[in-house]
Amino acid sequence: MAKTDYSKCVKCGLCWSICPTEAISWTPGEYPKIDPNTCMGCGACYERCPNYAITMERLPEPKIVRVDVSKVDFKKVEEICRNAGFHPEQIICFCTGTRAKEVAAAIILGAKTPEEISRMTGVRTGCKVECIQPILRLLRAVGIEPKPKPGRHAWYGICPTVFEIPKKVREKYRARGFYFDEDEMLLKKLTRGEAKV
Amino acid sequence: MPQYKIDKSRVIGPPIAPLPPAPSIYGVDPKYVKKRASELPNMVSIKISELFPDIPKPLWPPPNPKAIRDATEEALENVDMSPIKGARSVNILGSHHGFTILGGEPYAEMLKTIKDVIERKTGVTNIRLKVGVGLRHRESEEYIKRFKLDEYFNGKAYGISPLDPGVPIETEIGTFYGLRAAYDADKIVHAHNTDVREVHFHRHVDRAFKPFGMSYARLETRSAYHHNLGPRGANFVARAIFNSKFVQDKWAFSVFLRASPVGILGVYADNDLDRLDRRIIVDNLRYYGKVMRLLSKIDECIVVLDYRTPIPYTFSGGVIFANFTGLNIDLFDLDNPLPPYTWYTEAYYDEKDRPLIPEVPPVNPAIKVIVINYAWGGYPSVFWSKMFPVIVVTKEQADVYNRDPQNIEFMKHAVIAEDLETAMEFAYKIGKTDKVIVFDGVYGAINMSKSLAEYLVEKAPEVDEEVEKKLMPKWLKQRGIPPEEVLCK
Ligand code: SF4
Ligand code: SF4
Repeated sequence: MAKTDYSKCVKCGLCWSICPTEAISWTPGEYPKIDPNTCMGCGACYERCPNYAITMERLPEPKIVRVDVSKVDFKKVEEICRNAGFHPEQIICFCTGTRAKEVAAAIILGAKTPEEISRMTGVRTGCKVECIQPILRLLRAVGIEPKPKPGRHAWYGICPTVFEIPKKVREKYRARGFYFDEDEMLLKKLTRGEAKV
Repeated sequence: MPQYKIDKSRVIGPPIAPLPPAPSIYGVDPKYVKKRASELPNMVSIKISELFPDIPKPLWPPPNPKAIRDATEEALENVDMSPIKGARSVNILGSHHGFTILGGEPYAEMLKTIKDVIERKTGVTNIRLKVGVGLRHRESEEYIKRFKLDEYFNGKAYGISPLDPGVPIETEIGTFYGLRAAYDADKIVHAHNTDVREVHFHRHVDRAFKPFGMSYARLETRSAYHHNLGPRGANFVARAIFNSKFVQDKWAFSVFLRASPVGILGVYADNDLDRLDRRIIVDNLRYYGKVMRLLSKIDECIVVLDYRTPIPYTFSGGVIFANFTGLNIDLFDLDNPLPPYTWYTEAYYDEKDRPLIPEVPPVNPAIKVIVINYAWGGYPSVFWSKMFPVIVVTKEQADVYNRDPQNIEFMKHAVIAEDLETAMEFAYKIGKTDKVIVFDGVYGAINMSKSLAEYLVEKAPEVDEEVEKKLMPKWLKQRGIPPEEVLCK
């Protein structure tokens, strides 16, 4: 987990603004405080603190964070995943190995923001980069479109998918080697029930 | 029929010493890398220029900073710098990737020269260097320090990360997010390299544009690349951002270090990125295409990783290990939807590591065992330890993965050997082969066991012919380039 060396800290709040689990509390002019129970050791603060004020320390025992998918209605899980364009079994976070079904289960159990999902499942606590779109798409599948908290830039918003690329764009770039139609068919085959569960 | 004959005595030589390990927060302390794979008994190297004589002679190796400076100056002669004249600020945009090629010195020299030429030709002095990263958020800061770029750029050289503040960019398919720090100047210069590297991600479609969707992009954009667009359309994220009014208003020109399997061939520069991309396609399909097809002929081998990059980015003959993982299929062929390794593919394995759809191809069956003598963390790599037997040399190297938040389960599927010799002994036993290939960042030659060299060199002429006559025409057509325009052999 992360530890702050206050002799180096300049109270800029950057660590607070990027922590994926909101483990850091901070108000302007104050030192940041890290909640050891919420910190997942992702290293975002350690890797971006401009003053190298944060170090990572090994926990005496590993912390396991997981939502038990068997505790929720799997039909609902499947529905959320399919509506978001994912197969329930597919991996959405390569660092933690978290699958779409676990994020869907976290949403069924009440998670409404990427941060709540990270705290429940551990996603986004590895590279901090690659899994934000699946999270936002899975939330959107149940009608939740969260807004980032003012001042924080842990994430901004959802980006386009292949499903929404207009016909004229597909035609314009096809000759260059962008095979959108075929890729879309492949993703649909995976997510719209043709692949095994 | 083969077009030429191989003289084995000229091709096979002693192993080439790789660059030493480099200190980094992402790797093991260099003192723990006691022996390199190239020092193992029965190791030789094969010379790529003897195998494929049409690849031009490189400027580097051997190290030659002046040649890089001259080539950069010469390439910039033909560039129109008028868009920059009168600008209050210019950002030279770079990527960590350039520093992974030949230890980074050629790229650093190119970056310094670009600054000098812009200053001289335009009078603009407020020139900043902004270097993006992969998933190792301080990696570029390390290179900036190592090559003293901060001093060279008068305190204005910065590592930028996808976690840093962003700026929305409207494109013809919707909103993506760029890094504010990349675009906080009047004008931008795109300073990259032509190395094919992640063919599994960009499929060599608009390869020259990729950093607009990666190094210069926020995390949302990168996530869209790897989850939203699909395995062949992913790199359109970069093209869409590049085409946006926001980027076009700032665009000045691009400068690319011309990489190849034998080393640095020169420097390309152009105001027109499309034109530059076409040149890169032709070069890369031909030169990297041949080396990759040659490596695809390996029937069985032990892979030893031994370079200062994360597991998939260790190089052999200019080809990254991630590509070798998928060389059982033709990665350049766009009729193949999913490479054996790419994030779309990795996502499509279930909890028991069974593919979710039949389109998921198996990983390269030639790889029998992977020995990690030296490779960094900072990239989610559990795919390899799940798919192949992996032996990690030393507890300290294993600790690199154990403390890495991107590799929390890597060592669950790998074993540790005390030293390289013990690891190899075990690898020979379980791999049941004496063929060894080393990914140690050497250019111009590939370090391998004598048994593999003897087997492989014979195949070069037929590979050359296959690429020139059969594959190049197909690959080019798939990318909208009429083969008759560029294939004059
Ligand atoms: S980012 Fe670093 S300097 Fe800024 S508040 Fe956090 S610990 Fe302090
Ligand atoms: S979760 Fe990550 S960013 Fe947040 S305090 Fe822990 S290490 Fe730092």
